[in-house]
Amino acid sequence: MNTELEYSFENRLTALRRKKEEQTFEKIKRNGYMDEDDYGSVPAPEGFEFHPVFNDPVNNTFYGAKHWAMNFRNLMEAHPVYVDPNDALAGRWMFILQRLRPFESATSVNNLEMAPIFDFSHLKPTQRKYDLLPGIGKMHHFAPDYKIGLALGWKGLLEKVRKYHSKCTPEQEELYQAEEDVLLGIINWISRTIDKICEMEKAEKDPKVRENLHIMAETNKNILEGPPRTLREACQWIAWYNMAGRTYNRAGAGCQLDETLRPYYEHDRQELGLTDEEAEFIIACLLLVDPHYYQIGGPDRNGRDVTSRMSFIILEAAHKLKCTANLTIRVHEGSDEGLIRRGLEILFEDRKAYPRFSGDKALVEGFCRNNYPAELARERIAVGCNWMSLPGLEYTMNDLIKVNMAKVFEVAYTEYEAGEDASTEGLFELFGKHLKCAVDCLKEGIDFHLKNQYRNAPELMLNLISHGPVEKGLDASNGGLEYYNISIDGAGLATVADSFAALQQRVEDEKLFTWEQCKKAVLDNFQGEEGERIRSILAASKKFGYGSSCGDRWAVRVSRLFTDLVAKERTPDGYLTIPGLFSWANTVPFGKAVGATPNGRLSGKPISHGANPDPGFRKDGALTAMAKAIAMVQPGYGNTAPFQLELNPTIINSDDAIDNVEAVIKAHFDMGGTLVNINIVDAEQILEAHKDPSKYPNLIVRVTGFSAYFAALSPDFRQLVVNRIVSDR
Amino acid sequence: MDKGLIFDIERFSTKDGPGIRTVVFFKGCNMSCYWCHNPEGIRGVPELRFEPDKCAGCGICFKICPMRAHKIDGERHIIDENRCTLCFACANACTYGSLTQVGKWMSVDEIYIEIEEDRAFYERSGGGVTLSGGEAMKQSDFAAKLLKRCHEGLVHTAMETNLSFPWADYKKLLPHTDLIMGDIKHMDDAAHRKGTGAGNITVLDNVKRLAEAGIPLIIRTPVIPGYNNDVANIRSTAEFLKDIPTLKYYELLSYNPLGNSKGILIKNPYKLPDIQVPEKAGMERLADAAMEYGIEVYIDGRKRTGSR
Repeated sequence: MNTELEYSFENRLTALRRKKEEQTFEKIKRNGYMDEDDYGSVPAPEGFEFHPVFNDPVNNTFYGAKHWAMNFRNLMEAHPVYVDPNDALAGRWMFILQRLRPFESATSVNNLEMAPIFDFSHLKPTQRKYDLLPGIGKMHHFAPDYKIGLALGWKGLLEKVRKYHSKCTPEQEELYQAEEDVLLGIINWISRTIDKICEMEKAEKDPKVRENLHIMAETNKNILEGPPRTLREACQWIAWYNMAGRTYNRAGAGCQLDETLRPYYEHDRQELGLTDEEAEFIIACLLLVDPHYYQIGGPDRNGRDVTSRMSFIILEAAHKLKCTANLTIRVHEGSDEGLIRRGLEILFEDRKAYPRFSGDKALVEGFCRNNYPAELARERIAVGCNWMSLPGLEYTMNDLIKVNMAKVFEVAYTEYEAGEDASTEGLFELFGKHLKCAVDCLKEGIDFHLKNQYRNAPELMLNLISHGPVEKGLDASNGGLEYYNISIDGAGLATVADSFAALQQRVEDEKLFTWEQCKKAVLDNFQGEEGERIRSILAASKKFGYGSSCGDRWAVRVSRLFTDLVAKERTPDGYLTIPGLFSWANTVPFGKAVGATPNGRLSGKPISHGANPDPGFRKDGALTAMAKAIAMVQPGYGNTAPFQLELNPTIINSDDAIDNVEAVIKAHFDMGGTLVNINIVDAEQILEAHKDPSKYPNLIVRVTGFSAYFAALSPDFRQLVVNRIVSDR
Repeated sequence: MDKGLIFDIERFSTKDGPGIRTVVFFKGCNMSCYWCHNPEGIRGVPELRFEPDKCAGCGICFKICPMRAHKIDGERHIIDENRCTLCFACANACTYGSLTQVGKWMSVDEIYIEIEEDRAFYERSGGGVTLSGGEAMKQSDFAAKLLKRCHEGLVHTAMETNLSFPWADYKKLLPHTDLIMGDIKHMDDAAHRKGTGAGNITVLDNVKRLAEAGIPLIIRTPVIPGYNNDVANIRSTAEFLKDIPTLKYYELLSYNPLGNSKGILIKNPYKLPDIQVPEKAGMERLADAAMEYGIEVYIDGRKRTGSR
């Protein structure tokens, strides 16, 4: 029944996209809202159940390499197989083993990822006091090196593990056995999928579909036995690795996708006559499997731009897919202007919040401040929500460890005597003291994590394609990698800066009310008429983002203080920590833990987002004001403080709109900016969608570093996105 | 004149000249175009703006006003114009932004601090500063100082003007003006006078003189249905412009109804004009007529590339 026209790449992609939308709604129906990445997982068949084996029956959890591997292998061997005859690639994933432990949701601050036998109760009072996210026991959030896996294939990886296993010490035995189990589980999953494809091929009547299934089967057979040789094989290999990684522990780091795939593409073009249209289709299918984070363009280790035809094909693939994708273009002095231009055109036309842009200059210079050479810094690529990592070389805990600076402020403000001698200087000093306590506690937690994590939850997937863990028989968290640069993010910058600024402007300078009156109103959550009067006056102060305002100066001061506390002193065990400003999706739960603040924010309301000024920071919301403000507060050690930019479609309706947005991005990077995420969303549309999300099943927004279907976000998160876009209502 | 009366400074403007620009709005205008979209720029004095929908009813203005000009009329909060002395005590106390002072006396340095904020963006986009209004030429001495300061800081300068001031005034600021965006609102002198309160003889003369002085020009016509949107008028304008050597392009601007929402100013009640925003097809017809004279034509920021 399929005619040639019906089985075109375009129609197949449309069908795949629609299927994904249906699956997304099914996921929401079954699991509720998802305040995180869209992910590419699909709902498991009705009635399918999987129960992991626990070695801590009291707390119903499992830990240690042996149990992680056993459960993973069991899950892989039972995992339903999934083949879509429209797809170039086989497989979809359905579970996250990490979450089959009875712990927590994505944005929970309970931090129970470390199995309870690992006791860090001595840190908990301080963690609770400052509402810290210590990251202890958390997994992945660093990048593997796909080239290792692509060079060896699945069986090659198994042989490598077995080679080292045969010579290992008794202490290494558990890890090697676990790695073998992981690989055998994946191989089983792929083998069963091949059987399914062959069955479908036999039953298929349409010759075109049958041919696709035949190639799909051959592709999978080939990569099971040896390393991938074609673009489709390479993409299929990456897809399996990504799906297995997600299933294991949700890992989502990608790679420099254009350079990773270029050799296969060039080979296929020359040897097999691969067309660009087919290459785009295959890559679109890879992007559909899962929205991993990929970098394209940017410099090689010597500073030469790596943009190739492949980079453009990847952009066009995302353009055709029109789904969630996390592509980042690295912008540097030698960038291919055409790639940036095309990226912006696609961003403007599709309005799917991709690509994003990362600023090479500040990232490289910043990373060099940690005493690393520029060559290495250039290889630290954008492969995470807000983060960079050296593929296969670096353990980072990116985006896992956060200090809720608004909470720290609240502790200081509550403790501070609001007497006649009170001053913002005095309060800042006390804030600094508490912030140091908070950061020190996080550093102790990092040491605890690095001592224990390999026994709690080893990185059995990421180890496989990193440099060191298999060779040394050491988990990535336990010395298997070369570099340990642990990220600590500050959250709530604008909330804190605006609070200091409001106190300075309204209480100290204008003397509209006393410290005591102000503190009483804040601690009472601005209740009553007088409270509301004080709140409105505080809220109308000159905020961070206005430009050369009191708020801007406080933001720089708070950022510098935080940066120095993180960057200038290592953990007690000597690990380097790198500061960033990023709240991820934690603005809501962080806000719930903080009472009213002197910026006029009510108790329990979300804290400010990332390094962004609070909405309403300027009456004209000047884009340039925000771009400059965020550039000025960059910590500057190679981690990011992203610039989250919401553009109304009216801004793109002129001949030079792309030129102007490009100029804003580049000027932001000139001034020290590190990462720009852009949403182009119509204010009316987002308000409509907020009322009834099901009317807009394909509305995709970048929430923080990740993008997601708007309909899949919880009402709290939708409100947050709406507030950023519709700041003047 | 050490200070200028400024009613707004807008960053990231992309409609007032090339690239990303900071626009400095001068308060006070010599014309009185009935379609004005910046009515708060007309009078050359600071004014009080009241936006009732932002009023939270806190009552601080009632308490603070030394003249007791704030009153309740039935359920409505009103301001007695006869009592108000424009001291702005209420605007300074109003934290809701309901009462605001429109127009502040600012020094060159004060303005330049804001201009400097976006230097990196001017450099990346080929942008700079645009003086607008009101009418910047009404404060030409101050405008000249500000333009000079921008040039000292290597910032590109542009000025929007109705072109109706004496040539001697323009001469003062030409050394520091990189681009002039001037209006020809009507080619017929009497019609120009009727619509704006001033004739067009000086306007047209200034266009020629600016071209002779080598100043790059963008000439615009705000297209006001029922006033100047006839093809004959646009043809006549284009015919005049075809001989202007420094003309970059001729731009037709659709009537901007923005003024309607900004008109709630006391002492300067702004009558809502009954004007329809021109249809796209009509704008294109006018642009195509102008293009017959061999000049480049833009419609609302977009280059017209040819008739259908």
